[in-house]
Amino acid sequence: KSTASKDSTTEGASKRQEGTAGTPKQKLLEIIGNMKVEVSYRKKLQELKASESKKQAMNRLEGPNGEGPQRTTEDLQRLNPELVKAASAVASSLPLNKKQTESELLAQLRRHEETTDKQRRVGTVNIRNVISEMTVKRQSPAQRGVRISRRISLEFDEDGQRLRPERFSSQSFDSRSLKEGKRLNIFTKASTEPERALETVSSPTIWDLEFAKEIAALTAQPPRNGFEEMIQWTKEGILWEFPIDNEVGMDDDAEFHEHIFLEKHLEGFPKEGPIRHFMELVICGLSKNPYLSVKQKIEHIEWFEKYFEEKKEFLQEI
Amino acid sequence: MAAAALSWALRAARQVLPSPCPGQVRSYYVDWRMLRDVKRRKLAYEYADERLRINAIRKNSILPKELQEVADKEIAALPRDSCPVRIRNRCVLTSRPRGVRRRWRLSRIVFRHFADHAQMSGVQRAMW
Repeated sequence: KSTASKDSTTEGASKRQEGTAGTPKQKLLEIIGNMKVEVSYRKKLQELKASESKKQAMNRLEGPNGEGPQRTTEDLQRLNPELVKAASAVASSLPLNKKQTESELLAQLRRHEETTDKQRRVGTVNIRNVISEMTVKRQSPAQRGVRISRRISLEFDEDGQRLRPERFSSQSFDSRSLKEGKRLNIFTKASTEPERALETVSSPTIWDLEFAKEIAALTAQPPRNGFEEMIQWTKEGILWEFPIDNEVGMDDDAEFHEHIFLEKHLEGFPKEGPIRHFMELVICGLSKNPYLSVKQKIEHIEWFEKYFEEKKEFLQEI
Repeated sequence: MAAAALSWALRAARQVLPSPCPGQVRSYYVDWRMLRDVKRRKLAYEYADERLRINAIRKNSILPKELQEVADKEIAALPRDSCPVRIRNRCVLTSRPRGVRRRWRLSRIVFRHFADHAQMSGVQRAMW
């Protein structure tokens, strides 16, 4: 029964395409023509948009077929009322056999809704699709022997270069390329996780920290090989990261002129006298110092400023 | 004062090193002399900047001598353990004060022990 109605809708579609007029109608017709059992969100959006535009068109037309879709009320309640109105408007705008086309459109919509519900419940994994793409790979006995021997021993030259260069990653995919084929939709995007993560913990309690430490201590297996040992050492900070970055830990954002021209920090000092002489020597030494950051140099000068401030009365006696 | 020092010492003595390593795990300093040396090193680190600055005022031919005398008294008033001269480079494993090779921070006996067991990287018995 469904196939018969589908055939008649395709016939109706071909007839409809002849009698089109106006862009919203054309859009809707294209959509109905492209409707298949496989659901895609894009098409649903398109349908909704088309139904919006169709609603406006219907308000303009507003024929006597407003009371058309009263047939199976429960089905129609499941369906989007806008889509229903759009279907009735389309049926009304078409030249021939209005009631039949309307019923066919509604049947299409119902099927559409059923499939979306099913797919929403079950998930988009269709095992048949997955298995249809898989094929059993056959190895020739000669190739198999070669592969086993390759797995058992990695044979090296005297230089350390491999005897058999690896061409076999491209060969195994000879029969089918990696970029063809239908999408299986097995891996879904984890889009909702970062939103959830922000909601939960404001500040971890001591018990949480202890628990985390316990888990880390339990799961920290001793390294199985030299690579894992080196990874562990890098995490601890024992081993540097390669390629070696000469400026690790040195976040000095200051330019060279802030290091060298330090005279502007000497404003708190008297302009004449031995103290000024002393401070100019200090600044000369600091400008040649590559090991201190600008902040440390400024602190140095400020310490002297404070010290001489405290000794001011004493100095004036002299 | 004594209680605070004692608690500090106990906390220092109970330092646990990160455990998952197959070698020896040492949870205490080797002896009290090593602990005192550790204390001196920490204080010296804290007061290093101040000592440097006060010494810069003292070892000076430009500033007046009275100022330098005041600076002398100030530096003498700092805690005695804050001067770096009191630090002794002891052996890290046995706390031996003499016969310590600076590059490895080990006393000669420990160094020889590890080198003979091939546990010192790049160290070989000399023969020429």
